[in-house]
Amino acid sequence: MKRLKFNKANCIGCQLCSQVCSAYKEGEYIPSKARIAIETYYDKGTLKYADHFCILCGLCAKACPVEAIHVTDHIEVEMDVCCGCGLCQEKCPKNVIKIRDEKAYICDTCGGDPKCVKTCPQNALTFE
Amino acid sequence: MTMLGYQNKVLRINLTEKTASTEPLRMDFAEKYVGSKGLAIRYMYEELKPGIDALGPDNKLFLTTGPFTGTPIPCSGKLSVAAKSPATGTMNDCSIGGHAGIRIKFAGYDMVIFEGTLDKPGYVVIDNGTVEFKDAEEYWGKGSHETEAALAEQYGLEYSILSIGPAGENLSNMACINSDYYRQAGRGGIGAVMGSKKMKAILIKGTGGVKVPDITKATDRILEILHEDVLQEDNTFVFDCGTTAFLEACNDGGILPWKNFSDTTDVQWTEYNGDVLIQHREGKRGCGSCGLGCGNFLKIGDAVCEGPEYETISVAGPNAGLRDPYIIVKYNMVADDVGLDTISAGDTIVWAMEMTEKGIHDFGVKFGDGEGMIQLLRDMATRTGAGADLADGVKAAAEKYGGMDFAMQVKGLEYPQYEPRGSWGMALSYAISDRGACHMRSYAPNAEVFEASIPPYTPEGKGQLVYDLQEFNAIKFSLCICDFWGTISYEIMAELLTLITGREWTVEEMSEVGRRVINIARAFNQREGFNRTHDTVPKRVVKEALQSGPAAGQVIPPEAFEDMLDQYYEVMGWNKDGTMPEELIQSLL
Repeated sequence: MKRLKFNKANCIGCQLCSQVCSAYKEGEYIPSKARIAIETYYDKGTLKYADHFCILCGLCAKACPVEAIHVTDHIEVEMDVCCGCGLCQEKCPKNVIKIRDEKAYICDTCGGDPKCVKTCPQNALTFE
Repeated sequence: MTMLGYQNKVLRINLTEKTASTEPLRMDFAEKYVGSKGLAIRYMYEELKPGIDALGPDNKLFLTTGPFTGTPIPCSGKLSVAAKSPATGTMNDCSIGGHAGIRIKFAGYDMVIFEGTLDKPGYVVIDNGTVEFKDAEEYWGKGSHETEAALAEQYGLEYSILSIGPAGENLSNMACINSDYYRQAGRGGIGAVMGSKKMKAILIKGTGGVKVPDITKATDRILEILHEDVLQEDNTFVFDCGTTAFLEACNDGGILPWKNFSDTTDVQWTEYNGDVLIQHREGKRGCGSCGLGCGNFLKIGDAVCEGPEYETISVAGPNAGLRDPYIIVKYNMVADDVGLDTISAGDTIVWAMEMTEKGIHDFGVKFGDGEGMIQLLRDMATRTGAGADLADGVKAAAEKYGGMDFAMQVKGLEYPQYEPRGSWGMALSYAISDRGACHMRSYAPNAEVFEASIPPYTPEGKGQLVYDLQEFNAIKFSLCICDFWGTISYEIMAELLTLITGREWTVEEMSEVGRRVINIARAFNQREGFNRTHDTVPKRVVKEALQSGPAAGQVIPPEAFEDMLDQYYEVMGWNKDGTMPEELIQSLL
């Protein structure tokens, strides 16, 4: 199964990934609602990386009490079943799930052809 | 009237009253000046009364985004920071990288305007729709890096921070504003304007979005342009080595300054070349919405910087008679931290070195004294010892101590690191630049030296060349596109602006906006009393022939310089004395 991979040595922290994600998923350039959040920052004279992206571990599906989350080669959330309890968000090891209006928003790797990977200008994101 | 791509909203903050209000963006201005640089200058023309004190409460600080800010259009993450300049008395717009511009847009604003002055040191926190005024006594006197680190610890990563160092607090004409530690709005004393308002820092958090007419169509096309136009070799060199690449090109072209522009070319340039510096690189970093990633985060011993850029390598290297990579990086770090523009501070110090060596006045520093150079940065920022005499830049110091013939400045802004005797168009660029000697208004060495498509040692054709370059940058920067997307065309600019705003823009209109931006800046300066007599060249450039390198023997005859000015004014439709016809000014409003 292909998964998103992040090579921080190539990342320039431009956040084009999350801008493009929000464009296709939310109809607006709004990174705060994107399904991926990768940024770089300086902390005490060191360059650091925060990489929040789905690794298809499936822990969210296991945590879901109403079986709204399905994992195949990508994740699907049945929005009319999702109860917005947030248990998936609590279990997500990459802290990438967002709960809004009592619904869980999870990366679906664009159904197997992730736009963030197509966007990444320095090939820091790959799908393999 | 509103337009997509914009937030159609201005946040106006009155520091004297500690109040904040919002108002619609002047879309009549946006129609004519688009955004960022151009929009800021139009607002300055409207709101800054003639003759005001640049360091008084009547000056305003304008943070201006553009329609591309916050979109995934590559290289669109920069922010225009503008005010009347205390160094020159002209308008001054700077461009700062990092993420602050995008966060202002996502907070819901196209612009933030700061008016008045705080009664005591403070900082301002903008969190989407709220504005708070905080006490900054504990940060006053601290370096920019320490201040940003402390505020980042307190507020978290969602905030962008703009801050000043002691140089801004002490109102140095060379004070800059820092963001993301290593990015600067550098020139014209913009940090002193912030300091005069007793504003140590500005924090911005924005979690909203930007809407465009057809987001799928726009994003699909943006991605095509990213991969087909942006990510090509002519641009991607900035990821490989950043502007360090210019060192070899400038040295080979005879325009790398040596010892305060007394000569050019250094046979030992490889000692501090990019490949030497990049061995110390720990990572790459770009601005928000970048794509190219010019920033070289590197460390040599205790010296850390994101860069160093060519300008800094030159001024803390051969222009100071130095060849030490450690000194270059340390100079860069200390200048950023104390909040001084590396170009202006450097030119002022290397002038002081020449003054000392010539025995005109002893500033306690000579060519080759790297530690002395770095100490002077600290002393200029705090106005201590010799630093007190140098803190307001080379023009102010030369007015006091002499040496004006080799004070490398125009209108009080120090020369960037491209020797004009090897690229005559650059003498014109510096002379007619709206904020004094600037290499970002128009950049002649590409055509004259690197590509050698036009002869460098002649006035012929330089008026048109400089105008064409200036027009291109004026619209490009009004769209807040970074300089490093060098291959962007008028066609791409018009196409992207159409996609983002939904209004059809033509290539001709892009050209018209560029010309208008140059003119409104000139109109502002004319209102402040500027004319041909201020469009000058340092005497050294028209009196002393270069001794070394490919441009050896070159000097720009005064009549050739005047010829270039005549040509440029004619292209602009200005009068012979450099003033603008009244009907031209009226057409801009």
